[in-house]
Amino acid sequence: MLNKKRIGIYSFTGCSGEQLVILECGKYLLKLYEVVDIVGFPMAQSKNTIMDLDIALLEGSITTESQLAELKEIRDSAKTLVALGTCACYGGIQSMKLGEGDWKKRFQEVYGADDKLYNKMKPMESKPCNEFVTIDYYIPGCPMDKGQFLHTISHIINDTPPHLYPFPVCTECKWKENDCLLNRGELCLGPLTRGGCGAVCPSHNIPCVGCWGPAEVTNMPSEYKLLLEKGYSQIEIFRNFRKFGGTPMVEKLKNMMEKLR
Amino acid sequence: MKRRTITDITRVEGHGGISVDIKDGKILDIKVNVYEGPRLVEQLVVGKSPRDVLNIVPRICGICSLSHRYAALLALEKALGVKVPKATEMARNLMLIGEILQSHVLHLYFLALPDFLGYGSSIDLIDNHEDLIMLSLGLKSFGYRMNQVLSGRMVHGENPVLGGFGLFPERSALLELKEKSQEFIAMVQSTIELFASFEFPVTYDKEITFMCLNPTDGEYAYLGDSVVVSDGTEWGIDDYKEYVKEYVVPYSSAKRAKYKGKPFTVGALARINLLGERLTGEAGRYYKSLYSNNWKANPLFTNLAQAIEVLHCLESVPKLVDRIIKLKEPGIVEAELDSGASVGAVEAPRGTLYHYYEIENGLVRSCDVVTPTAQNLDDIEKSLKIAGEQLISLDSMDKLESTLEMITRAYDPCISCSAHLIRINYTDKDS
Repeated sequence: MLNKKRIGIYSFTGCSGEQLVILECGKYLLKLYEVVDIVGFPMAQSKNTIMDLDIALLEGSITTESQLAELKEIRDSAKTLVALGTCACYGGIQSMKLGEGDWKKRFQEVYGADDKLYNKMKPMESKPCNEFVTIDYYIPGCPMDKGQFLHTISHIINDTPPHLYPFPVCTECKWKENDCLLNRGELCLGPLTRGGCGAVCPSHNIPCVGCWGPAEVTNMPSEYKLLLEKGYSQIEIFRNFRKFGGTPMVEKLKNMMEKLR
Repeated sequence: MKRRTITDITRVEGHGGISVDIKDGKILDIKVNVYEGPRLVEQLVVGKSPRDVLNIVPRICGICSLSHRYAALLALEKALGVKVPKATEMARNLMLIGEILQSHVLHLYFLALPDFLGYGSSIDLIDNHEDLIMLSLGLKSFGYRMNQVLSGRMVHGENPVLGGFGLFPERSALLELKEKSQEFIAMVQSTIELFASFEFPVTYDKEITFMCLNPTDGEYAYLGDSVVVSDGTEWGIDDYKEYVKEYVVPYSSAKRAKYKGKPFTVGALARINLLGERLTGEAGRYYKSLYSNNWKANPLFTNLAQAIEVLHCLESVPKLVDRIIKLKEPGIVEAELDSGASVGAVEAPRGTLYHYYEIENGLVRSCDVVTPTAQNLDDIEKSLKIAGEQLISLDSMDKLESTLEMITRAYDPCISCSAHLIRINYTDKDS
């Protein structure tokens, strides 16, 4: 490669899980450092910039005005923007109460009623990156999968579109020939959740918690009715749908309730 | 007055800065500012079930997610009357050891080592220190393999559930961990020697107040029902709110804590200072040959303390595996109660981590989490001030800044976890 691509990894609000996955790429990370210029990676290196980026990798959701300003600057500077992980893609656990109102009150219950910090921090309820800027590619996960990350980034570096993972966890669970947890009466979100984790929880006898965010095409009303039949309350079902569902789930729930009406 | 601001501390987990106020060549003040975005995790779990809690709270931190899970499990199980079998307890301890190993390796080789060898990142070390980089990558992968075997995956594994494991770790996988750990035991000793050879840019002469859990079995371990303090006191974890007094400062979004009105330190250096005599094997041998009174005062010894703990963790793996595989595979113990309240505490990689839950009719009424970095922030500032006063005579502001960053980094602050869980105690409740 004559001109190495300039890549930066930037972190907003989350647990830093995606940066940890990148650091855990081992020899592939060393290779990545050979074939591209990593000009931003604050967790790993001292010198960092957001200037003239070919690819920006974003981790975390947006929860303050200054993060929003930085996100917009990165969008202006980068040719391609990739959202990494459930927080950047959909908003993460910190978005589970979106739309319920009272956000400032909840903020004050944690940080105190004094407006000094509020005014200084200029916080906002968590939203994913695509609420504010155009995102070119998504690699969901909590945290994302190393293999999917390397696959996607290799394609983008080489200017070929990456193959995304459109199927839900349920598909991967079938491939593994696991006993269906829904049939056993468990509140499993496998049919609604984006695949790619290898159905790791159901393979451990644990119902899918939905941590990779909502899959695009699902039959949510059917899952909802099935869970009602199994004896779960609407509150409990919605609570689970929303745990990692972020902004897409707000819309999906609204649509579902309209259909069911 | 001149204010130098290190806006973003790099090579730490999370977002924070240091501001240094200088007037007439004297340090007026040094502050650590944390500017993490809010997540309100303690609020998110209110009204949720214990199972939801276990999905949510580990997400506080990607590095020590299993410590959060374990502390939450201990609190929830105690509150709901669940007593797990010995095999479950030991497999969880093995899980915690894997996390401490993985976290320390990340900090030592990737975040701290470049400071001592004069590089901007650990990747830059590859040309001259390839062996170190390859060892660190191998060790880190091994730590994550432990996470995977015990918790189900590398980060945020859901396998440890209330009352046990969704799927108890397989015997063959446990034996694989045992074998692999033995390979690394010989290899990490050069790392301890490397960290022991570094000279520090700052000297400290005042003893730090240290605190850690006191393991009941007299071993060097990461669990206990009481907290031991370097001033000789000991208290039960149920009383943590009395001793670890939390407060907030107006300039930073992270909660702080004081013990008897004074700053204190938790983490690897605290554990080595308070429990080091209990170390056995090669880790014990290194402790005896390297430990001195300087460890009681200089936070930069945290790196060496972590290096010894890496060896201790590796040496603990075969012992724990041997004990676990002798026991009958445990099932999941169901909760007997649906209401209760309790504290759970573990030694996370960075120090004592407290979780408290109050459950009513199967749902969380209130939650409190006190993270190690929140407890360390005051001592970080204190040691930065001492360093600043020693270094201010230097002409180079860059040197001052890089040294202050190096000291901050030595505490291995997990800024994102310290900041996500803040609660201000209202002093004017009547208004």
